[in-house]
Amino acid sequence: MIDVLTSYTFLIVAIGTVILAFACGIVGTVSVIKGQSLIGDAIGHATFPGIIFAFMLVGVMETYTLALGAVIFGIFAFFTIQIITDSSKVTLDSALALILSSFFGLGMALKSYVQGHPGFSGTQGIDDYIFGQAAYMLRTDVYLIIIASVISLLLFMLFYSHIKIYVFDPIFSKSVGVNTGLMNFMILSMTIVLIAVGLKAVGAILIVNLLIAPGVIGLLWSNRFPMVLIIAGFSGAVSAFTGTYVSTVYAGFATGPSIILAMSILVLLSMVFGSKGLLHTHRKRNQGVVS
Amino acid sequence: MIEVWFVLIVTALATSILGVFLVLKGLSMTTDAISHTILLGIVLAFFITQDLRSPWLIIGAGLIGLLTVYLIQVIINTRLIKQDAAIGIVFTALFALAIILVSRYADNVHLDLDVVLMGEVLFAPLNRIEIFGFSVPNALWQLSLLLVINCGFVALFYKELKLSTFDPTYAYIAGFSTTLIYYLLMTLVSITAVTAFDAVGSILVINFFVAPALTAYLLVKRLSHMIWVSFIFAFINSTLGYLAGDHLDVSMSGATSFVAFIVFMLVFLLNPKGFVSTKVKQHNQKKVFARAMILMLMNEDEHRTISRRGIQSHFNLDDKSFKKHIEHLLLNGYVEQNTDGYTLTRRGEEYTHYTRIKYELPAS
Repeated sequence: MIDVLTSYTFLIVAIGTVILAFACGIVGTVSVIKGQSLIGDAIGHATFPGIIFAFMLVGVMETYTLALGAVIFGIFAFFTIQIITDSSKVTLDSALALILSSFFGLGMALKSYVQGHPGFSGTQGIDDYIFGQAAYMLRTDVYLIIIASVISLLLFMLFYSHIKIYVFDPIFSKSVGVNTGLMNFMILSMTIVLIAVGLKAVGAILIVNLLIAPGVIGLLWSNRFPMVLIIAGFSGAVSAFTGTYVSTVYAGFATGPSIILAMSILVLLSMVFGSKGLLHTHRKRNQGVVS
Repeated sequence: MIEVWFVLIVTALATSILGVFLVLKGLSMTTDAISHTILLGIVLAFFITQDLRSPWLIIGAGLIGLLTVYLIQVIINTRLIKQDAAIGIVFTALFALAIILVSRYADNVHLDLDVVLMGEVLFAPLNRIEIFGFSVPNALWQLSLLLVINCGFVALFYKELKLSTFDPTYAYIAGFSTTLIYYLLMTLVSITAVTAFDAVGSILVINFFVAPALTAYLLVKRLSHMIWVSFIFAFINSTLGYLAGDHLDVSMSGATSFVAFIVFMLVFLLNPKGFVSTKVKQHNQKKVFARAMILMLMNEDEHRTISRRGIQSHFNLDDKSFKKHIEHLLLNGYVEQNTDGYTLTRRGEEYTHYTRIKYELPAS
């Protein structure tokens, strides 16, 4: 089982998923704190028709084109959500459900069209983008993940102080000249790009977990923003590695779902044992300390 | 083929009546979570019964749906995790578990993830049942029964549902359990979702729940009206979706979902209080206001006669918009042009008088 660790496929997949989960963990934490984590879910589903549109236009499964299609549909979905919630009484909750299912429905309709049409060949890989099939990840997929993650993380570090103010005090941030609209857009574009490159690894349905769970874990262990980010990044990376390892060693464990299960176990453990978790607050309450 | 259309319509009606309350109570994403996690219920029940047509599947999925709602509630109650994050974590965890179970243990049996996800309403008529001597598709019979049950539930608990939706605090004081109503509603949602999964798939069913209700929500204010209007949209969406799916040879539930989105967007953009008319109204108001302000400026003693440059610099107007405004004012006889610039006419003076009253400004 140890020699799995040095096999080429495993390394490719592990490098890809670990870096992706690290970047998603850090960027996703912002959305978790701002209470808009399910936007990632809607965008994740909405990228699916983009993948198929891109495939229909070029006729082959080419990583960069598909990712571009996903990004375009992600942005389109996001702006539609924004317009609907801004200028009608429809709540974010309902708008997300509507956009998520309608776009995914479009994807399903397109998928059935493509698969029933003799003009398109090589369509069997499409399902990988719904559930994620990291085992079939190519080297270009991993390159794309690395590029997107590094750029996102660099941007994040560059604007770190701005992001921090934007997250915790939007009104103050306006008064010191931080453009909240721009920050919001930047965080969401990072989210959309990371979703687009991560689709093949984790799938359109489950990718939101990579954006939410690490941030939640971080928040269960610390109150300090930089610490939360670090914990989030590393818990994402650790889960990604564990999940990838399990899926390589045991048959029938798809990579995406395995990573998500590893992550969920970490969330559960953190809820119980975390420094802000159940056991801790319980003990505090017994000692009569008000937290 | 007409049976396929019937199945779609009955599904849309049975889901949208519950959808009205889901939308109003802010439970849309919770329902989305349920529609994903019932896959786990289906898989577990399938392992026990080894039969995809067993009623145990519905019971299993219904139980898992309730478990999902309960888990989310428990996590929120610990106050460790916010609601949206709790929903996201619970449904992905249970869905991931279901996928692993399917791919590890059920790969060789007939439990096609594709069909579970998007359903295939075209296959619905193949599965038939005898009722009172008539042969009807199983799905049609089950969903019709559910439609009756859902409508009965809403009719029976209409007052309670209404109160717990709009004024939960009062409902609590008045002494009936909002929690009970909530779990009853969510039980029906889970059962409806799992029954519909055959026809429309587990992800797209959320569209059948929320889209007609949301479209109706844009148009009407009364709860009872909203229910009827969402029935109408449910009918329209599924009919158009059926025609589109049939004509283009694509997945019918997929087509219906996207048609529902287009119908929603059309209503959103074009209804009398919608996006377009609001924007047009805002634009017109801006125009009227700008013109009134130009006249007000000219009503001041030191600006009796004002040059084009003077007006432009005062309101920061570019050439194009200045021309549009001044042409309108000249045409209506509010101002007149002379060698030094523009002056107010008698009519214009009167107009400024009404402007002051309209915007509640002090008289000059």
